[in-house]
Amino acid sequence: MNPAGSTSDSVDRDLLQRIAGGDRLALETLYRTYHGTLCRFLSRLTRRADIIEEVINDCFWIAWQKAGSFHGDSRVSTWIMGIAYRCGLKALRQHGSGPVEDHTLMGDRGPSHDPEDDREMRDWLRKGLDLLSADQRMVIELVYGNGHSLDEVAAITNSPVGTVKARLFHARVKLRNLLPALGGDAAARMERVP
Amino acid sequence: MTFTINSAPDCARAWEAMPWVLQDNAPVAQKDWLMAHLAQCEACSAEFAQQTRLRLAVSLPSDVPLDVDSGLARLMTRLDTLDAEPSLPTSRRANWAFKALAAAVLIQALGIGALGTRLLSDRADPYQTLSAAAPAAVAGAIRVVPDPGMKLADWNKLLHSLDLKVISGPNAVGAYTVVPTGSAAGSAQSLQQLRASAGIRLAEPVDNVP
Repeated sequence: MNPAGSTSDSVDRDLLQRIAGGDRLALETLYRTYHGTLCRFLSRLTRRADIIEEVINDCFWIAWQKAGSFHGDSRVSTWIMGIAYRCGLKALRQHGSGPVEDHTLMGDRGPSHDPEDDREMRDWLRKGLDLLSADQRMVIELVYGNGHSLDEVAAITNSPVGTVKARLFHARVKLRNLLPALGGDAAARMERVP
Repeated sequence: MTFTINSAPDCARAWEAMPWVLQDNAPVAQKDWLMAHLAQCEACSAEFAQQTRLRLAVSLPSDVPLDVDSGLARLMTRLDTLDAEPSLPTSRRANWAFKALAAAVLIQALGIGALGTRLLSDRADPYQTLSAAAPAAVAGAIRVVPDPGMKLADWNKLLHSLDLKVISGPNAVGAYTVVPTGSAAGSAQSLQQLRASAGIRLAEPVDNVP
């Protein structure tokens, strides 16, 4: 998904319109399009796979029922991420954000491709993000991972733009000071990859 | 090593621009300016390199194992359950809820109306005189004022002997309205007997008030 792309947004709008008409195939397409993005976004809130899947499905359950009320005031990606954000916070209040249990991970393990570099990179990032608050992690994910603007992040998190800007600033300052100390050989190698 | 944020105006400007240049959402002029600044500022160049690494790391797919197909299957099952529910669609449920609410409001309004009517009725005669006509609709009704010292047993005995019964009272001045238990024809006789009885201060026919 490229949230910044107007082409992808027009495709998403078309899908949403069909969903409003009860088209399950359109829902499936939208679900597959956003599944990876939502999974990564929600993994910044919790590492529990069962909760992440529950939240993704809650999100699309709402999208299925509310698609007709989407008036195009924002991009579809912003609308969906906003639903997911609220569902995620609600799920965390219900379940907590504890680490995933082994038996939970054994369930629906998908295909795995995790090169060593990616693993090192993820470890480096995870150590850094662990030092941030949940709100700061969300902003980093939405800006750096999803390519959302400050206004869009404000809409997604239902926060003033100034608050979002402050969260981004403080998150960047923390990471700026801490990430270099957490290593990052893999990160440096990836940076050289064209 | 700990970086400090360079307070130089250009470095602060570069700091602000980095995320949006990395997103490729910054205006071309802003991007060109940043690249020119990075070429001459080692600190900002190092910061931009780290921001680039950060973006790469954040953009990696999630490592939480989730299978899209099984998740989608569960969602579809959930939708099937929704379709199979005997409950009415959302809009119709909303209509029913609205109708139920309207009915409740209507019942409340009727209740309040009835209560108000009764209160108004009670307040219709805030005072009552001996000649008040309220209970006078009954034929042969007599308004009676017993002596305050009259015993209840004597009062009851007198009414019983004259085949009279109380239909209202006492009012504020101690007046009762009585009617014959049988035919109203005997009312005149009862009236005379009441007037002749000890302990009766006043006895007047209700429907014969001047």
